Amino acid sequence: MKKIKRQSNGWTDRVYYITRIGTLLALVMMFFPAANPAYVSGLINKNLSLFTTAISYDSLTSLAGRPLRMGWVQSGDFVVLMIGAAVLCLGIALTAVCACMSLGNLKMKHVGNWFGLAGTVTMFGGMAGIYLAYQRFCATDRPDKVYTTKLENGEYINEFPVPMYLFLALAAVLLISTLVIIVCQPKPNKEDKYEIATPYKLFLFFLPIAAFAFVFCYLPLYGWRYAFFDYNTGETLSWDKFVGFKWFTYLFENAKTRSDIINVLKNTLIMSGLGIATSWVPMAFAIFLTEIKCGWFRRFVQTFTTIPNFISWVLVYAIALAIFATDGFLNNFLTSVTGELHEVNHLLDANGIWFKMLAWGMWKGVGWSAIIYVAGISGIDQQLYEAATVDGAGRFQKMWHITVPGLIPTFCVLLLMSVAGILSNGMDQYLVFENASNKDAIRVLDLYVYQIGIGGGLVPLSTVVGMVKTIVSVILLFAANGISKLVRGESIM
Amino acid sequence: MAKTKQEKLDLKAEKLYYKTHKKKQHYTVKDIVFFILNYSFFGIFTLSCIFPFYYLFINTISSNSLVRAGSITFIPKGIHLQNYIAMLGAEEVMTAFGVSISRTIIGTALMVATSALAGYLMTQQDLWHRKFWYRFLVITMYFNAGLVPTYLNLLMLGLTENYLVYILPAIVQPYNIILVKTYIESIPSELEESAFIDGAGHMTIFRKIIWPLSKPILATIAIFGAVGHWNSFMDSIIYMSGTPELQTLQHRLYIYLNQTSSLGAVVSGGVSGSQAAGMMEGVLDSKVIKYTISMVTVIPILMVYPFMQRYFEKGIMLGAVKG
Repeated sequence: MKKIKRQSNGWTDRVYYITRIGTLLALVMMFFPAANPAYVSGLINKNLSLFTTAISYDSLTSLAGRPLRMGWVQSGDFVVLMIGAAVLCLGIALTAVCACMSLGNLKMKHVGNWFGLAGTVTMFGGMAGIYLAYQRFCATDRPDKVYTTKLENGEYINEFPVPMYLFLALAAVLLISTLVIIVCQPKPNKEDKYEIATPYKLFLFFLPIAAFAFVFCYLPLYGWRYAFFDYNTGETLSWDKFVGFKWFTYLFENAKTRSDIINVLKNTLIMSGLGIATSWVPMAFAIFLTEIKCGWFRRFVQTFTTIPNFISWVLVYAIALAIFATDGFLNNFLTSVTGELHEVNHLLDANGIWFKMLAWGMWKGVGWSAIIYVAGISGIDQQLYEAATVDGAGRFQKMWHITVPGLIPTFCVLLLMSVAGILSNGMDQYLVFENASNKDAIRVLDLYVYQIGIGGGLVPLSTVVGMVKTIVSVILLFAANGISKLVRGESIM
Repeated sequence: MAKTKQEKLDLKAEKLYYKTHKKKQHYTVKDIVFFILNYSFFGIFTLSCIFPFYYLFINTISSNSLVRAGSITFIPKGIHLQNYIAMLGAEEVMTAFGVSISRTIIGTALMVATSALAGYLMTQQDLWHRKFWYRFLVITMYFNAGLVPTYLNLLMLGLTENYLVYILPAIVQPYNIILVKTYIESIPSELEESAFIDGAGHMTIFRKIIWPLSKPILATIAIFGAVGHWNSFMDSIIYMSGTPELQTLQHRLYIYLNQTSSLGAVVSGGVSGSQAAGMMEGVLDSKVIKYTISMVTVIPILMVYPFMQRYFEKGIMLGAVKG
């Protein structure tokens, strides 16, 4: 296959930039609730995007149960609105096809133009549908329930959605540019094949992947804006709720949150610190494991000590209950051995909870973490050991002077990584083991963010905490990477 | 990895050599003490990893009245499978099981296909602005917008209380893409070039050459992805609080474990006849139900575990040398 080069087809190629940018804009706006042109009545959820309006009748009518029953609005109004939104989305999709095909050769572009034309016309059709629905909503006999805004003099008006103008303008621009291209573009040769230049073709394959990464990894960053607003779940943001850095200072000025944060940070740092202080354990585990010369026993140990790594923390908790709860194994066993009744729920005991969490973490992870060191040990040159034996080195001397230095590079990388992740000890473990008696000592940063954000509904505050945490983590990671580069001359990222 | 004939022969010869030539090793007392300590440490630790599963298992198959009395500690007594049969009739558990299985299969399949394609595209120098897109993906590994912004983002997209929230956000996994990319780079480029000369397009090369050759790494990421899907429960807890029929098995288990009231309704709820329900109520108590659901949750993992094992080392070593 020959690589297909890009080719230029005159100045109309530049007009396609308008098509591409316009389509991209329309696509993005399709998913933003603030830019929903279908917000034509106060009965529609403000947090609905155009796309959701188009695909989900249930979420569209989620606020309209009573008005529908009372006959203030007809279900037909919503159906018209939904169809209008769906047609608009279809139009945007068609122009997107045009934008993609504009990357091809002249013949490809030629076909794409007609998609573009059809798309823009469909967009106008969809907007007409939405306008129709708007008029039907305006015709209600209960403006106080159905209309969007209440004026100061007590009257109600149904505001025409502002984003609609935006979409109108976009569609008009797209229509004009498409028409210009259709008229002015040179005609393709009949015998040409449909082709796309190789770089663009590969890019088109990559485009959906990039879109996913954008939507699920980059788009959440847009949510950081909540840190600067007064916001409760379900409301919409507006500039009059802008509070600047209020929540950042609130975090430290409010006595309750300050003591919470100090406590949470203490727990987080202690538990991460314990984890870091014991990060040599998997290495020791691996070293002593390789001292076992009996092959089947070593495989047996390795097989079964890695199992706990593959079960979820919920299951670990289930196991903890089965062994340590009031009616668990430990109590039953002690009762049957001593004859006295043992009924202690060891999980409710908050003493030394940090060490218990460490122990559970070890139980779950040590066998797995040791695998990388076992692999590292098998990579050490056997001649070193033979030479040391000849020189009269004992078992522990060989371990200390040959095995350990051979594993230190791996150990350092993992250590630096765990230092960089000192604030993120995950929350699964602490969530499942949390109970009334240990909740003060077990609450780590991630769990705290979850509890105040999702459980308590304090969106801005939890966003602030999460934001600071992310920034600190990134700085730590770069610092760790810098140290690694300085000391070992290698990057860990 | 299959050994060649020659290697096998060599190994045999080596063993024979050691058998005949090796002097009998003399262990000192210190050595023997060390061996005893070492073996017993690993023995005990391994037991501590096996025993909880064994304990759960024998308690689910033993006579339920003995379990309630707490007399099943090491040996199962009065073996029966009634508890597991009852689980088949427990609608909530079965629904959750279906959700977990389906998300594991669909989510993993899509993730693997995407990682393979993206990994392949990332090796193509011709890709428009390849370097930029590569960084675009890699950077996402090092930051995280945080729990609440992520939640609000999915809320905005209408993905909360929606099955797709299990699948869509987990499709593009930059780390796995890097693993695949590194692996594909190790495949001799002559294969690709000769296919090009024979007139194959990019997608043909991807399907016929890259996909089959990178199966080991794809199997590795598939296994880790599947385990992750099966075990994940935070997404269910955060996004599915209002939709019980879409909660995963892990989330169900979490709810049951924390439920202090009787769990009898869980099993009897699905059984049609009230008679049958009454019978179940009499037989199963909350403790047994909890244990049985735990077993149901862990069995799939234990079943695929032997197949996973040979990919461990590969997976973790690749993780260490990612580039």
